[in-house]
Amino acid sequence: MESQKAALTLLVAPVVGVVAVFCLAPLAVLFCYSFFHVEFVEIAKQPSIGNYVKVAESETYRWLIAKAVGTGLSVAAIAGVIGYPVAFFIAKRVVLLKSVFLTALLIPLYTGDLVRIFAWRVVLGAEGVLNSFLLWTGVISEPIQALLFSTTATLIVLTYNYLPFMVLGLWLAFESLDDRLLEAAADLGAGRWATIRRVILPRTTPGLLAGGLMVFILVIGDYLTPQLIGGSSGVTVISAVNDLFGTAFDWPLGSAIAWSLLATMVALIIAAGLLFSRTRLGRSIISGG
Amino acid sequence: MERLLKGYVGLVYAFMYLPILVVAVFSFNASDMIAFPLSGFTLDWYAKALSDTRLLTGFGTSLLVAVPTAIAATALGAAAALALTRYRFKRKYLFLALLVVPFFIPRIILAVSHLIVMSEVGLERNLVTVIIAQTLIILPFTVMVIASVLIRLDSRVEEAAADLGATGWQIFRRVQLPLMRNGLIAASFIAFVLSSSEYVLTNFVSGRSQPLSILVASDFRFNLSPALDALAMLIVLFNVAIVVVSEAVRMRSK
Repeated sequence: MESQKAALTLLVAPVVGVVAVFCLAPLAVLFCYSFFHVEFVEIAKQPSIGNYVKVAESETYRWLIAKAVGTGLSVAAIAGVIGYPVAFFIAKRVVLLKSVFLTALLIPLYTGDLVRIFAWRVVLGAEGVLNSFLLWTGVISEPIQALLFSTTATLIVLTYNYLPFMVLGLWLAFESLDDRLLEAAADLGAGRWATIRRVILPRTTPGLLAGGLMVFILVIGDYLTPQLIGGSSGVTVISAVNDLFGTAFDWPLGSAIAWSLLATMVALIIAAGLLFSRTRLGRSIISGG
Repeated sequence: MERLLKGYVGLVYAFMYLPILVVAVFSFNASDMIAFPLSGFTLDWYAKALSDTRLLTGFGTSLLVAVPTAIAATALGAAAALALTRYRFKRKYLFLALLVVPFFIPRIILAVSHLIVMSEVGLERNLVTVIIAQTLIILPFTVMVIASVLIRLDSRVEEAAADLGATGWQIFRRVQLPLMRNGLIAASFIAFVLSSSEYVLTNFVSGRSQPLSILVASDFRFNLSPALDALAMLIVLFNVAIVVVSEAVRMRSK
């Protein structure tokens, strides 16, 4: 038993060490910096909450954080709606080629952020493929300018980027959904909609939440897509942090914005978890129903 | 209803592959313009992309980052996957949460906090810092791949080895390591691909030596040309080939 424990320590310690030293510690340092301020070109290390007051008072930063949350929620919702039938199909209709379907879904992810965004720019641009195709076929007579560099374009590409994560979360939930429950519902005379609403939806809600959480967090953290696809609408709270660490050189304020964003995200996730655990569905899942 | 579902799923997969397909088509199109109508077949863009020495140097730099990252992420991932699948311990969920935290921290925020620490310690930005940062965010993927192989393996083999008097190290060296070999190969391939295509962290913490992804980024901000289509296609084919091989290796471990 002792050697078991030693082996476990040997396995766990390096991983915990790496994450602690290279992720948690830098985030803690970032937190410390958020209380400093800039004097001329030096960073003055007298702690104050001035930066947080600035963030709270600034309409721009408040709006940017709200916008990030809004975009995260929207894309999570869109991906949920699009991905739900796909996850159902892979889990319940595909028998032999299941892993092929899943891998095929993930392969676009492995092409890298840049190539994906580049491809979408080619598709969406004013002189791009979609416009020239529509012009060529005579569907439109003027190129649609709004396709690229708009909020819509950003939403499309963000959904494209993170849909696989939503499908993965949902797929796991569908896999653990017992087929006999569906048969029982049918035997008891439930119609298709009643089965979906009363059996399938409640049983897959945890997957929907898990997938939604992943999409939400990843969308908020996405820097490149709004920058390269959104045009002038591409200013995000993340790009503001980036600017403050680059050209604007106000590391303390950037740190404070970064931590405000992290805190907002964590608070929202905890609030959502608490709300869910208070619903009847949440209680039944927690108590192992 | 069933046919409707099938058609819908087909549409979603088409959506996932549409941009890549478009890039593929225009990488063979004999025109400077990336627009319809198509004007003929050419391989010139590939020749152009492949003869660009700047890009080749960038590719070399990418390898300098991706190989060590793949090794580090696979080694740590194997340790974490073994701990998660072969041991019972309190706070397993905490350990799991710790593993995925770096992946979910916005990349820019992780990058700027590394920047602060480096300036505090007085370190120059260099490729080592890129390797460390990338290893952190790729770790969840390698853990997932290796754990998926370990879960399918019968842990009674290890129990039998222990009953026959093998020490912990012997079990690891003679039983677990050979059994999870395919998982390790698959994980390192996936890590390699994720590392070579990562941009944000790389851009922030890499100093003067610029990997391929950075060069591609600056190119397509300023000049969208079909040569870039060809380059993107080469990257996609390279990555997809590696992923497909690694998936095949992972599936075979039964």
